[in-house]
Amino acid sequence: MIRRCVVGLLVGVAVAGCRRAAPAPPADPMIEAIRAEEQAAGLTYAQAHGKHLFDHYCATCHGEGGAGDGQNASNLSPPPPDLTASKSLADAAYTRRVIVEGSAAVGRSPLSPPWGRSLSRQQIEYLTVYCQALKKKSAPSPRPPSP
Amino acid sequence: MRDPQTAPPRLHMVFAGLGLGFLAIFSWVFLREQGAEWRSLQARFRGVQTTVKNPHQLAEAAGAQGLRQVWLADLGRVDRCATCHLGIDDPAFASASAPFRTHPGTWLATHPVERFGCTACHDGQGEATDYEHAAHQPIPHVERAMRPLETIEANCGSCHRSLDPPDAPRLAAGRRLIVESGCVSCHDIPGFERMRFRGPALDSLGYKVRAEWVQAWLKDPKAYLPSSRMGNFRLSQAEITALQALLLSQKAQAPLDAAVDWKKADTVAGRALFGELRCVSCHAVGGRGGTMGPELTRIGDKVRREWLFSFLKDPHREQPDTAMLQYRLKDEEVRDLTAFLLDEYKTGGAEAETVLASYQDPRAVQDGQTVFVRHGCYGCHRLAGLSETGKIGPSLAGVADRDPDQLPYGRNVVRRTTDNYIFLKLLLPDALGTPSLMPTLGFTPVQAATITVALAGLRKADLPASRVVKVTPPDPYRPQGRFGEIATRYRCLSCHRIGGTGGDLSTVPLDRIGSQLQSDYLVRYLLNPGAVRVSVEARMPVFHMPPEEARTIADYAAATFLDDDLDRYDARFTPAEARRGEQLYRQLGCVGCHQMDMQGGYVGPDLSNTGTRLRPGWTAAWLTAPERYKPGTLQPDYGLTAADARALTAYLTTLGAHGAAPPAGGPAGGQ
Repeated sequence: MIRRCVVGLLVGVAVAGCRRAAPAPPADPMIEAIRAEEQAAGLTYAQAHGKHLFDHYCATCHGEGGAGDGQNASNLSPPPPDLTASKSLADAAYTRRVIVEGSAAVGRSPLSPPWGRSLSRQQIEYLTVYCQALKKKSAPSPRPPSP
Repeated sequence: MRDPQTAPPRLHMVFAGLGLGFLAIFSWVFLREQGAEWRSLQARFRGVQTTVKNPHQLAEAAGAQGLRQVWLADLGRVDRCATCHLGIDDPAFASASAPFRTHPGTWLATHPVERFGCTACHDGQGEATDYEHAAHQPIPHVERAMRPLETIEANCGSCHRSLDPPDAPRLAAGRRLIVESGCVSCHDIPGFERMRFRGPALDSLGYKVRAEWVQAWLKDPKAYLPSSRMGNFRLSQAEITALQALLLSQKAQAPLDAAVDWKKADTVAGRALFGELRCVSCHAVGGRGGTMGPELTRIGDKVRREWLFSFLKDPHREQPDTAMLQYRLKDEEVRDLTAFLLDEYKTGGAEAETVLASYQDPRAVQDGQTVFVRHGCYGCHRLAGLSETGKIGPSLAGVADRDPDQLPYGRNVVRRTTDNYIFLKLLLPDALGTPSLMPTLGFTPVQAATITVALAGLRKADLPASRVVKVTPPDPYRPQGRFGEIATRYRCLSCHRIGGTGGDLSTVPLDRIGSQLQSDYLVRYLLNPGAVRVSVEARMPVFHMPPEEARTIADYAAATFLDDDLDRYDARFTPAEARRGEQLYRQLGCVGCHQMDMQGGYVGPDLSNTGTRLRPGWTAAWLTAPERYKPGTLQPDYGLTAADARALTAYLTTLGAHGAAPPAGGPAGGQ
């Protein structure tokens, strides 16, 4: 009797387990739509926010992709550096410092102004993360054209 | 005889059995509680602590044994997340592994855990103390699993009610899309009560458009104009025919001056005018240009010549709500411009003016009216003889709290969440298994998801007032008197902002423009607006304004739009100050963005004539705190001291002050 019960129980558990695994998990199309866009751009959440800020504040000189080819770049002497090939970007503290205090603060030309008083701390974080991503992304694949 | 004190042996056995049973249950409960996930995590955390380099606050954390919770009485929430997320507000754990890691970003600086808990932003089951039941991942029968980062800004929207909430770009984009897409014409949406979205008035449409265009437009507006804001209402052919009859019968106002000598029309002169008036600041052609007005790429396929002439001559007569200004043009100029537009921007050989068929059949018109009302067209369009009858769609208040299991999803196999429902409804309003009058607005999936993020913060139960970050817009500003007439004619508020009202195509709100600009400069500028910032594509139109009107505007500004703090500024500068300012100008790298004597960048305005353009009080104030006057400006805040700002102002004030050259005049015309 007891043995029968135990066997029944085990079978029941097994069936329940199988039934749980069988159907494909239902889709979450709303989240997937956003993920698809982020994947297409190859950016994380923080980087995507950083890109917004970069496009607004920085791209005029540094260029959309950070290659130093913005529309205002030719007016600058020295010209803006190619951020995709920059070694100093690897250092987050250094990058943050240039953003916050301007390039003059690290002994370069004063042409890159300080944004520390205009941006919130969170925005500076996003921007730093995105600038660092500019460098990493340059090697494996060319940036897809922004829409 | 048995001793009465001793129980029978069988009873002993029962007692022993029961005792063992209780012991087993007790041990099971005890062991289960001892082996709880959070306890093992806390034990692991104590191990992690020893590897942290700078354990400055760890004395308290080390003693953390047992459940830790935040009770938010006003929100009715108890969050025990910190029981496992032990390093969440301690920067020392920035590189620790998953449950112990410090919260990324600076969010906790503005939203401390003691005051906001965790689930207010993240959702999930705050009272649970293990990974699964806290709903880190979706679990059955739990409506609010934790939001992934992709959609988390929806919860920002619960408290932050302004149109452009800080640090939540996706939410802000969603709210902008709601405004731009005209959702408010059909739905009451909390937070958007004062928004208005109007399509053109239709009561003279019979004079305006070609009959065949109406047909094509009603079938699919985006086929004519991909940038159209009107959705596809999925009308049947019968409905289209009825609407067409109704719309073409609308002849409230006949066009002005129908007797124009079109043979003399000069399209070359019209093309020149099109450039000079800077029509592309608001209207796109061939995909380039502004978005305030409709795209003109196929205007020749749409409108009739007499109507366009009349509209360009006086746009406000037929369309009082239009954002379009009324230029001061001669009739011949209007004629040339009309001829140019119709000739240049068309696709087919639409030369033959269609003879309007008889759309006077009263029955067809009556049917059309029924269709018009049924689809709620009045939400966006005015039609003579039709009073507004409220919004056709349901209110969206509390939409995020609708029961996901009660909502229709059509044949889509999706997880049942309000998010997915809203998303699908936006994308495929007709494919959810219930008949819907909502038009297909042609959103991309990302746009639909972005709008969903904005709508998913609309909860049923409102938050306590202390939690809401709200910006109440002031009453709309309405210019009065002679200035009001001029400002209305030229539609200054379509682009400029005064008293929180108006568009934002321009740089700084005009509320203190009288203290910013020198009066004479303003007059010169209004008469011949040049490009102050050459890199900005949208330009102030050339109004062909009579000097008297320009003077009236400048005088009104100089008497009304003032800021005493700026006007009180002591502008008696010493030459030494100016010299120091020149040094600073070089030192700070201003030349990177500003032109001066043909040198420098194209980001900010040309400063060569600052001495005749700006008032010193404004220059100093702007240099000291640009963000205060224009959030998001590209002018950096250098944190200048008052003395430094003064020196720079002194220097800039000397520029162009002698032999004042008029502002860079002449339309650059490089469109």
